[in-house]
Amino acid sequence: MSNTPVGAKRPFRLGIDTGGTFTDLVMMDEASGEVTLVKIASTPQDPSLASLQVLHRCLQEQQAAADDCIHLVHGTTVATNTVIEGKGAKTALLITEGFRDVLEIGRQIRPRLYDVFCDKPLPLIPRRRCFEIPERLDSQGEVLKSLDEEQVGNVAQLLQDQDIESIVVCLLHAYANPAHERRVARLVAQHLPDVPITLSSDLCSEMREYYRCSTAVVNALLVPVVGRYVGRLEESLQAANVPDVLHLMTSSGGIISSTIARERPVHLVESGPAAGVISAAHLGGLAGYTQVISFDMGGTTAKLGLVENETPRIAQHFEVGRQASIADQASGYPVRTPVVDLVEIGAGGGSIAWVDDGGALRVGPRSAGAAPGPACYGNGQLAPTVTDANLVLGRINPDNFLGGEKHLEAGLAAEAVQTLADEFDMSLLEAAHGIIEIANTNMTEAARSVSVQRGFDPREFTLVAFGGAGPLHAAAIARELQIPRILITPHPGVASALGLLVGDIKHDFVQSCLRPTQEIDTGEVETILEQFQQAGAALLASEHVAETEREYLPLVDMRFQGQSHELTIPMPTCDRQNRESWISHLHATFCQEHQRVYGFSDQREQSEMVNVRLTAVGHIRRPSPPALIDTGPDAFKAVTTRRDVYFTETGGAIECRIFDRELLSAGNRISGPAIIEEYDATTVIPPDFRALVDPKGNLLLEPSMNVTR
Amino acid sequence: MRKDDPEGTFKEPVHESRPQLGMDPIRFEVMRSAFQSAAEEMAIALRRAAYSTNIKTRADFSCALYDDHLRVVAQAFSQPIHLASMVRMIPAAVREYGPQNLQPGDGLAMNDPHLGAMHLNDVGIIVPLFHKEQCVGYAANVAHHVDIGGLAPGGLCISKDIYQEGVIIPPTKILRDGQIIENVFQLIAANVRSPKQMGGDFRAQVASAMLGGKRVTGLYDRFGNDDIQKFNNELMEYTRRWTKSAISKLPRGEYRAECELDDDGVTDRPIQLAVKISILDDEVHFDLTGSDPQRSSPLNANLTYAYSALSYVVRCMIDPDIPINDGFYSQVHVSAPEGTVVNAKHPAGVMGGNDIAMRLCDLGFKALSPALPEKVPACSKSVICNMGCGGEDPHTGEYYTFMETLAGGYGARFSKDGTDAVQAHIQNTENSAIEETENNYPLRITRYELVPDSEGAGRYRGGLGLRRDWQFPGHQATLTVFSGHRKKGPWGLFGGQPGRPSSYTLNPDSEARDLPSKITLDLAPDDVVSYQTPGGGGYGSPLERDPQNVLEDVLDGKISSQRAREIYGVVVNMASQSVDLDATRQCRLGG
Repeated sequence: MSNTPVGAKRPFRLGIDTGGTFTDLVMMDEASGEVTLVKIASTPQDPSLASLQVLHRCLQEQQAAADDCIHLVHGTTVATNTVIEGKGAKTALLITEGFRDVLEIGRQIRPRLYDVFCDKPLPLIPRRRCFEIPERLDSQGEVLKSLDEEQVGNVAQLLQDQDIESIVVCLLHAYANPAHERRVARLVAQHLPDVPITLSSDLCSEMREYYRCSTAVVNALLVPVVGRYVGRLEESLQAANVPDVLHLMTSSGGIISSTIARERPVHLVESGPAAGVISAAHLGGLAGYTQVISFDMGGTTAKLGLVENETPRIAQHFEVGRQASIADQASGYPVRTPVVDLVEIGAGGGSIAWVDDGGALRVGPRSAGAAPGPACYGNGQLAPTVTDANLVLGRINPDNFLGGEKHLEAGLAAEAVQTLADEFDMSLLEAAHGIIEIANTNMTEAARSVSVQRGFDPREFTLVAFGGAGPLHAAAIARELQIPRILITPHPGVASALGLLVGDIKHDFVQSCLRPTQEIDTGEVETILEQFQQAGAALLASEHVAETEREYLPLVDMRFQGQSHELTIPMPTCDRQNRESWISHLHATFCQEHQRVYGFSDQREQSEMVNVRLTAVGHIRRPSPPALIDTGPDAFKAVTTRRDVYFTETGGAIECRIFDRELLSAGNRISGPAIIEEYDATTVIPPDFRALVDPKGNLLLEPSMNVTR
Repeated sequence: MRKDDPEGTFKEPVHESRPQLGMDPIRFEVMRSAFQSAAEEMAIALRRAAYSTNIKTRADFSCALYDDHLRVVAQAFSQPIHLASMVRMIPAAVREYGPQNLQPGDGLAMNDPHLGAMHLNDVGIIVPLFHKEQCVGYAANVAHHVDIGGLAPGGLCISKDIYQEGVIIPPTKILRDGQIIENVFQLIAANVRSPKQMGGDFRAQVASAMLGGKRVTGLYDRFGNDDIQKFNNELMEYTRRWTKSAISKLPRGEYRAECELDDDGVTDRPIQLAVKISILDDEVHFDLTGSDPQRSSPLNANLTYAYSALSYVVRCMIDPDIPINDGFYSQVHVSAPEGTVVNAKHPAGVMGGNDIAMRLCDLGFKALSPALPEKVPACSKSVICNMGCGGEDPHTGEYYTFMETLAGGYGARFSKDGTDAVQAHIQNTENSAIEETENNYPLRITRYELVPDSEGAGRYRGGLGLRRDWQFPGHQATLTVFSGHRKKGPWGLFGGQPGRPSSYTLNPDSEARDLPSKITLDLAPDDVVSYQTPGGGGYGSPLERDPQNVLEDVLDGKISSQRAREIYGVVVNMASQSVDLDATRQCRLGG
């Protein structure tokens, strides 16, 4: 890059990912596709500070001009943290008369069965700020009781005196007819013109009042907070001379403009984990693998997702702000928005190994995190963790952790693991190996649940491993599930941030429309989709997406009559004008999916349509790093040293070659056992695996028998 | 015996040193999580593919895997009432049918309460698992079906014996070669009001059990029969050791309590329950002697119910991570004289066994309250609060059945208020969405809200009950109220007041006819039935409640300012939204 003439335009794209510990930046040169990474410590008191710091550092290091930035995507935990910490805006709820407590009653269940002190979560809006509006619709959207406009005015006046920062309106059956909600909004706005109003029918036009209401309430709480945050960030970017190109990543791995993010911040709550899966989908696709299981393992948790045809699987709901343990159902607040379908478990480098009162060895979910961190960090945390076990087994190099920036105390790790070994009368190595094997089992079960449990055969997939700890554990998971291939991305520690640069612009629309399949009025479906498409087109236009880059994907939620749980399937592409054939196609597609997911389905059963969905996509140019030159299989030049590493397969420690990933080049082949080290990750190649460096710089691991074939 | 412990309540822990596993701990943990994940996979499959709201939303089911000795190896469920359903019902069914009569591809159905099942709505499906032509265990699930025949829709009825409660299924072969035997299923379906839903739920149960079978067979291929045998034995021992060590930390002694249920639904005579809990070194015994003889009514429980409830009480007092299998159950013993409402014999009706079980939970906590005051809650709503209805849908002409169980107030605790409107103890069923109900059934819900002032007052207050009103537009429906706690509210502890009793009202805005807590009604079109569920009991004297907490409740409209003054002695200045401290002091001094 240094040979670019001074003053010439050198357009680039930026992704900035703010996490709890680090803020990562990815820069892609628009012309060459070359990618640069910068990592700095986060600034939790004001996360936008680190964003600016990392930006300045990058511009300086790359001698780039801020005004050459043509696209900036930000991933942030501001939305999630606001909900978890209960720091949302002072919000009022307006709800149908007789149903004031829908939010507080919630699902009426307890998160933990045998803990008489563990309660359902407190309502996001206290009862005193929930107001009843006289009106009522029936399930078809017909008016049973007309809207009492005078009463709406009275409530609005009450709100004026209470310094309300945000308002949410959720009326029964508003998904079937939004007229009352809209009228309420207009009336309230006359009194409080400056207070943002979220309408449930506008945000999530789906039946099931508590879920819709909760989604709208989370949004309303966030509007002022995210608005301020994004505003601050925009001001700083402007001051830094960055053009007005800020986008944010959503829970479904799409991106939206900062303007839309301010109106619909509920879409941001799961943006962090989504970016990783998007990245895995992209990197897998670039390497020619369209079916991918994404495996992101960090310090505290491991997240597994599934990519089918280069597209991450999407779920339609999740829970934000769950309490401590990941397994506790109903301890958080439900949000009905599309979200990348992930299984997250408490298994990370910091996960603590312990002995339960029955005498069994357990790993996680409690974690030492990054601070105080594993025993080997030397911060006084003495319990053995997964990282300590990896260190004892020789898999991690104590002098090359984060490129040597952090020295690990191998002695402390051994001491910690030894306490466990003593309890079980095992050797130090056996105990360390046990910790790793149990952590691997937990992650294997999670990988099984995103694949097998959802009707996919892992043998048809590629495991894309990243995160600081992913490449250490990938081979064990692949072996257990017979996944034939592992792809280790370049720079695994920041692969997640790369996802910011490869996400498409996405807008999701939904409308409940409960009809027996046989009675579907295709004209009605057509009308809904047209409305969605128009709205989508308008949003995409506002984000400067060229018409040729737009795509509209109609989806439909279906179930058998009598069921109360839907499956989302793509709408049949055949002509809707031919109603009969379209309907039989729809029914057949649904039956097929039901068979795949649940293992049974009966074509003779009646099905019904529940929701019509549309995703409007604006395609983004994705980075495609230039192919590396093949230098042949010999990787000898990349060997830095040798050390003893323990593997069960070899029945003990065995001397292994240690490679520096930076020194490897395309075409290099390495047979296990071997260790590949780089700045922010370590890859383990067990004795029964072999690795190949592909032209994109990925490491491809396969069981030895496959490679030689 | 310690000097400061003349009654010998405190015990030295049973295990001086850390217990040791009898097999490789790594392999043990790997196998344990593999079996557990197989059971959970069964549960996910059943829940997602089932038809009725009951299974899907309310998650009223349980899945488990057994070894060839019919010991539970792994179990996945959301309703603690199923604690013993799996450990008693499934083995009883297999033994009754004879394991030697089962071939690969076979499956049994069973719901007979007098052979160890719960009420008739809970139907079990059992599939034997074969590995190398040898039976190595069983996969089974139990799910609550929305209707099972009987006197009234939804399986809820004021019955006098089991025959009136619906179709009884002794252990019966329902699957051959992995397929439902159509005429056997038809025989069952012909006796229920919603055969279509039952068919869907049945298929989901079968798919779930077969899936469990497939997973376990895979585990046998992976680990081998010998290692799995070793693991099964070790799992029981491990669980037993852990349970013993946990029980050894509880205060040793004998604890007793008694209580009364309103009535039995057929007569007005209250039902007496009594429990004596003996905490020994490393096991717990429950003796229910003193509980009433069984009734000619639906308010009877068999020992499966009683056992579930009391196992739940034990689990709440010990480490909740202890696995649930025979190793745990071997340390918990429940005895009750035969022919009582807690150990009813054929042909007693058991429709209301859940309500007996629910009350046994609260009774257990009450008995333990002197010994473990910081661990047990005051009485929660302590009734299932059932509503069941059915009729001809005026739009489709088809017969529908619907049922729902409502939340109520949770009991207050040592350091915390009871939660408002939540399920308690053995019951953790989700509510059905109003919008979905109105879309799927010809019902209209006209109110769903908390009931102010229904809490049991206390230093920590009980939770509020809730109100739900149903209307039946344009058709004649049959509705059953099946509940309780209408005469006396849930008790408080240590000076806490009882929660407000429940109430049931026909047409609350016009004739407002008070209904008993157990009744089947034929409704006129457009009638409204209103439920107000009980509040939870309070903990400690209301005069000791932090006035600030009383203020918050008043501002939230949960407690009236009048009640704040009269019961809590707290005077709230509504204009300034603050506590009038002087007036409060006066008020509390004056009593």
